[in-house]
Amino acid sequence: MSAEKKPDEAYYALLTELQQLDFVLVELTLYLDTHPYDMQAVQQFNQFAQRRRQVAQVFESRYGPLMQFGHSFSRYPWDWADSPWPWQV
Amino acid sequence: MDQIRKWRPFVGPFDPCPPIVIKAYVVPPNQFIPFQPPNWPQFSPAEALRRGTLWPALYSPYESRMLTGGREKGE
Repeated sequence: MSAEKKPDEAYYALLTELQQLDFVLVELTLYLDTHPYDMQAVQQFNQFAQRRRQVAQVFESRYGPLMQFGHSFSRYPWDWADSPWPWQV
Repeated sequence: MDQIRKWRPFVGPFDPCPPIVIKAYVVPPNQFIPFQPPNWPQFSPAEALRRGTLWPALYSPYESRMLTGGREKGE
């Protein structure tokens, strides 16, 4: 166990941005389910998906993995078990 | 269009509790949109997350009526 990291302002800013991007992606997913030929919406979806990936990558490089079992890279040493845990932030 | 509809339920003479004279319910805008047209104006991502929809036309405030105890003003 390494020392407890204290989440700074950027931590919350990045998490908030992730949450916002995820919500837009949910909305566009539901919309595209009924409008599969809306080219503009598909482009917007892909833009947001890409931006979400970039933000997630920045977040993970600074604060550790968001997902497990190979969906996120790990830093060294292994820090999956370090706090803060999702329900602590 | 006002999203809140009101109606006056029957009030029996032997109601043990003070009656609710006016009851209200919300009719959200999606009830009147059979198929969403493309290219609607959108909220910003931050605004969308806060309001619970990406499209202003689908926004329904769903304000709490707890403070009035389920009663509407102007009884």
